[in-house]
Amino acid sequence: MTTRMFGSAIRRREDPRLITGSALYTDDMTLPGMLHAAMLRSPYAHARIRSIDASAALEAEGVVAVYTSADAEGELNPVPCAWLLPNSGLVVADYPSLAKDTVRYVGDIVAVVVAETRYQAYDALDLIDVDYDPLPAVTSPEQAAQPDAPQLHENVPGNQAFHWTLTGGDVEAAFANADVVLHEHIVQQRLIPNAMETRATLAHYIQASGELTVWNTTQNPHILRFVSSAVTGVPEDRLRVIAPEVGGGFGSKIAAYPADFITMLCSKKLGRPVKWAETRSENYQATTHGRDHVQEVELAATKDGKITGLRAKVWSGMGAYLSLAAPGIPTILHGLMLSGVYDIPAIQEDVYGIHTNTTPVEAYRGAGRPEATFMLECLVDRLAKELGLDPAEVRRRNFIPAFDNGHPVVTGLTYDSGNYQGALDKLLDKAGYQDLRRQQAEARENGRYLGLGLATYVEICGLGPSQVAGAIGFQGGLWESAIVRFHPSGKVHVFIGASPHGQGEETTFAQIISSELGVSPDDVKVVHGDTDNTPMGWGTYGSRTTAVGGAALAVTARKIRDKAKIIAAHLLEAAVEDMDYEDGKFFVKGSPDQAKTIQEVALMANVAWNMPAGVEAGLEASTFYDPPNFVYPFGAHLAVVEVDPETGQVDLQRYVCVDDCGPQINPMIVEGQVHGGVVQGVGQALWEGAVYDEDGQLLTGAMLDYAIPRADRLPNIEVHSTVTPSPHHPLGVKGIGEAGTIASTVAVYNAVMDAVAPLGVQRIAMPFTPERVWRAIQDAKEA
Amino acid sequence: MDLNGSYSFNAPPERVFDLMVDPKIVAACLPGCEQLEALGENRYRAVLSMGIAAITGRYEGVVELQDLERPVSYKMLVEGKGKPGFVKGGGEVRLSATESGTKVEFSGKAQVGGAIARVGQRLMGAASKVMTDKFFACLESKLAEQEPSGG
Repeated sequence: MTTRMFGSAIRRREDPRLITGSALYTDDMTLPGMLHAAMLRSPYAHARIRSIDASAALEAEGVVAVYTSADAEGELNPVPCAWLLPNSGLVVADYPSLAKDTVRYVGDIVAVVVAETRYQAYDALDLIDVDYDPLPAVTSPEQAAQPDAPQLHENVPGNQAFHWTLTGGDVEAAFANADVVLHEHIVQQRLIPNAMETRATLAHYIQASGELTVWNTTQNPHILRFVSSAVTGVPEDRLRVIAPEVGGGFGSKIAAYPADFITMLCSKKLGRPVKWAETRSENYQATTHGRDHVQEVELAATKDGKITGLRAKVWSGMGAYLSLAAPGIPTILHGLMLSGVYDIPAIQEDVYGIHTNTTPVEAYRGAGRPEATFMLECLVDRLAKELGLDPAEVRRRNFIPAFDNGHPVVTGLTYDSGNYQGALDKLLDKAGYQDLRRQQAEARENGRYLGLGLATYVEICGLGPSQVAGAIGFQGGLWESAIVRFHPSGKVHVFIGASPHGQGEETTFAQIISSELGVSPDDVKVVHGDTDNTPMGWGTYGSRTTAVGGAALAVTARKIRDKAKIIAAHLLEAAVEDMDYEDGKFFVKGSPDQAKTIQEVALMANVAWNMPAGVEAGLEASTFYDPPNFVYPFGAHLAVVEVDPETGQVDLQRYVCVDDCGPQINPMIVEGQVHGGVVQGVGQALWEGAVYDEDGQLLTGAMLDYAIPRADRLPNIEVHSTVTPSPHHPLGVKGIGEAGTIASTVAVYNAVMDAVAPLGVQRIAMPFTPERVWRAIQDAKEA
Repeated sequence: MDLNGSYSFNAPPERVFDLMVDPKIVAACLPGCEQLEALGENRYRAVLSMGIAAITGRYEGVVELQDLERPVSYKMLVEGKGKPGFVKGGGEVRLSATESGTKVEFSGKAQVGGAIARVGQRLMGAASKVMTDKFFACLESKLAEQEPSGG
């Protein structure tokens, strides 16, 4: 019975505590003698600091200390960048936790107040007098790359942090010989991640022992320990990072931030626990943003719709400083995916990483892959229109044929397995595509504008082989580790390096153990998020927790099974080769009635009264799993919209998707991930966008001015799947965390463009607010 | 942020101009003005109390008048900061004679930062319009007060 736990839509075991308010987040933690920190952030996007006078703040009630950059001198090393792209001319500008003489974005920290209460700390911020000398600011990456643009860093001429290039195949020839060349100018607007829980740090330094414990809202506690040790000088063995409950991240909780290090510094200096928890306004200003690309793309094709080349230039806004993983996102995770689900023989891309006077940019759900899928898929739809073909047909003519064990593409990657036509066929069938096209034609006759938008995608995830990580400049490994321990009573502890922030791994990992070892998932406790109690892990991002951590766990479970089989054979006085295993029971082949259960074996292994010769006591195993390749989930999505030409309002009427992440451990969790992902992508197409004014002030600084998706504006999301196992994964599974976001932005974009095509509209910038759509329709009328 | 507007008075440009550059009148008419003291010729320290959107607070700064060409035009520079953020702006005021008196036109730019920029920026245009309307209405009443003795 328990073997069926793999694939069972059991309810998430973490949800009762999450929905009853009994879960503990970083900001819930309180320690005796704890102080509170508040960060004074620059209101200027670019300015020199002439002087800072904190005397009034120091006299305020409850204030214990005020620190500025001078106090961090020799105590905090610069905030590191950990993705050092090779062959890209990468320059890492100095990124101090406390701004030294210059502030470079609204939100840069100039001072910290530590006080007995949080209110006292925040009140005292107003008493610090900073004399700024404002400098000209620049917020658009395209403008910041111009020769006369304001310069952010002395050692980064032209604001260019890197220039990354990708060339595969003969691009010149592809364009020279093309029947059709299409061009697009796309702005992937900057997005604000909006995790439900804002960021927080509680640091407790014990001066007598030199030990630092940090509770933090991180997606990757072990990386935070590694980086914090490098920045604060506290040795890794004295530094413990705990990620308690973490309420969402979407990439914004990958980075180690200035405010984290400053909080650690405060505790170190004062010898008392210090907590900092950001406000939502601070989160908007200073927690990393996503996207921010300006893309110039060209597609070459034959007259019968075969894509022969793709050429692109991308200006990627990095913000004022390079965040931890930022350089890898618009490059490795973007450019390498430009062949998409097609066999494109020639691809060239130039990516310019450009500093602007804005909040640093990091991974944001999908991270580089949505921006790549968008470039390709919007041009595929354009090609269909140009040639008078259905967009589904153009895709069919270009798809990589189904493969189950490796397919190389011109960007240098080898996809693991895929059946792209299979996913699209299922989508067209489930959505009733032909019927929708008929409805669209009828609606047009009646002056109504329906649009159908397809997006087919493949994503690189399950990051990844560590050897590749080294070759692409990632300053860490990408393996995962697991320890599985059976207690005498047959209950199981799983200690796992991967630390979740909403993915439900306490449930799916228990399901893996259950199906591999025949114990109930209720008998499995998954321990994560504490660097003193879990083995090393490289973080939850890039849809890698199940793809890599889950593999580590499956391999570990199999080691346990192998050892248990030896002990069971001994207890049954049989040869190991004659033993069989099924569903938590070990027995001599053909005699299932005379079985030893895994629980009986666990008891004997723990008491060790009667062990086979040479076998150690205990039933425990561990694995460091380094994947041989990435995994490549894929799918096909369809959005159906109606555009009201009188108001410009876009009504998203249906959203149908087929995603293939291989065999699903828990289909309900997969569906939940798809829902969340789709909605975040739809948000980019229809509502979201961070807006700065020309002086670098963030105008969308609060939820009043930044529209995040709401349930009442969305249709029911119709979720379907196909199953194509990964050939190299022990369970065949791939990642699903980012899939929805990768497909849905361009699916909605294509749907809206399809709807307004009869009105002569060629291009609308996202997000599709009614005003923008209406203006585009008016402009097309006048043209 | 761009600031533009115009206002008409039933008085000749000379009288309107004199009123507009008179610190006492400005202090009385500028909404929320708590203090206006001279720092030098045509340069003043100002304390203003304002509420925009949900952001209220006091701003302290410097107002400077430049290039005074009575009764045709002058330039005004304002720089101030307070708890809710900072404002820095400048513009030109032009007066022209009309049949009924004087037309005052102004145009300028303002840069705002801090909490007012983050939360209140959408409402800044409307708020500044209300403030300038109040200012000019107040000037008009001051003109009217001067009428009996002056006329």
